[in-house]
Amino acid sequence: MIYLDAAATSFQKPDDVWQAVQTAARDMSSPGRGGYPAAIRAADTVFQCRQALSDFFHADNPERIVFTLNATHALNIAIKSLVHPGSRVVISGYEHSAVTRPLAAIGNVRTIVAESPLFQPQAALDAFAQAITPGTDAVICTHVSNVFGTVLPIRQIAELCRERKVPLIIDASQSAGILPLDVSELQPAFVAMPGHKGLYGPQGTGVLICSETIPSQTLIEGGTGSLPLQQSMPDFLPDRLEAGTHNVPGIAGLLEGVRFVSRLGIDQIRESERALALAAANGLRRLPGIEVFATPDLSAQCGVVSFRLPGKDVEELGEVLSQQDIAVRTGYHCAPLAHRTAGTLKTGTIRVSFSAFNTPEDVVALLTAVGQSLL
Amino acid sequence: MDHYLIIARSITQAQRLQSALKQFGITSRVYRAPRDLVDLGCAYAVQIPEFVLPQALTVLHQAKLGPVQIYLSTQDGYREAVL
Repeated sequence: MIYLDAAATSFQKPDDVWQAVQTAARDMSSPGRGGYPAAIRAADTVFQCRQALSDFFHADNPERIVFTLNATHALNIAIKSLVHPGSRVVISGYEHSAVTRPLAAIGNVRTIVAESPLFQPQAALDAFAQAITPGTDAVICTHVSNVFGTVLPIRQIAELCRERKVPLIIDASQSAGILPLDVSELQPAFVAMPGHKGLYGPQGTGVLICSETIPSQTLIEGGTGSLPLQQSMPDFLPDRLEAGTHNVPGIAGLLEGVRFVSRLGIDQIRESERALALAAANGLRRLPGIEVFATPDLSAQCGVVSFRLPGKDVEELGEVLSQQDIAVRTGYHCAPLAHRTAGTLKTGTIRVSFSAFNTPEDVVALLTAVGQSLL
Repeated sequence: MDHYLIIARSITQAQRLQSALKQFGITSRVYRAPRDLVDLGCAYAVQIPEFVLPQALTVLHQAKLGPVQIYLSTQDGYREAVL
């Protein structure tokens, strides 16, 4: 299979990840639930992963690292900690349903969309500057659009939020492990991310990096291994947000994923992915009739490229590629707001997205298959 | 031999304490805290040799890992350390 759907999950993982998953499933029990060797082994592995993530994102304190099921779970905690009925919230025009649906579920939230065209970071910053007015309770911004790969100027948006004293939630679903993200510098209220995309952990892993000063709201309550005689959840992290048994095999795999990314270096990974995305964008542009959503040099864009062929159903083209064992994502990518912003809401797009495991040959295969489908 | 127990509110805090101590060459052991030492049940203790307490307190202070409860464990039982 030629896998070009890394923005959904980095399906291809380093071997160390799967070995760690197996070892954990076989040799580890549950952290914080006992003092016997299997429990301590589990606790050591989970703590090593917290420490690795804390170091990687400059969080200063591993207790700020909360393990979740996925980025959606992490975003729900973050959003429901800051947003309540009656709140005023500013979001980018490229948010995923993992942001827009929780806002809709809370109800009576005044959501202001800071809309900006694709690949124009200054316009995005201007839109946020205009939208963040007194009385704004939270800003939620994706770092990179999962549909188009457009990079939002998160550093400047974070600075704006600090100046205006508005808490910021960063959705790092497409940037964690690919773009630099220094939480000690950005000082967001929360950063949500999957463990299974750019960090190369297994599916079923997510991370929420919490501020030490902003209280968090629990989504679920239950056993944490701490303060069992108290019926309210602990007020300290990570226990407050980690009720129930941890996904120890997943976290063990995530630890190896983070180590893999650290060894390769995010600069090398990002440039490799961008080079492949640029080759794909250039090649697709040369095919007759294809509309490619990318700038000529892929500025302000990560290794994600969307395209469509006017008059042709994106699902049909996706199916043609699927029959040739080329895995791409078609449709709306769970981000109708992003499609609305980019003007693709009527058709959707075909998205190709790259990981550290893709090669130039994968791009050639994609271009050949798309080209043949046009004949 | 007598030793001190630093009581951590959670396994993660205990490991953080242990990690900080290790960076300064202080060997410790993490295990379930004795029931009598915790009000709300189930916590973890970081055990350190009696003679390293002053150094350990400096480490915890520098790493901003306090305040914590510390007990001296002797043959006669536990006694809260007055710091």
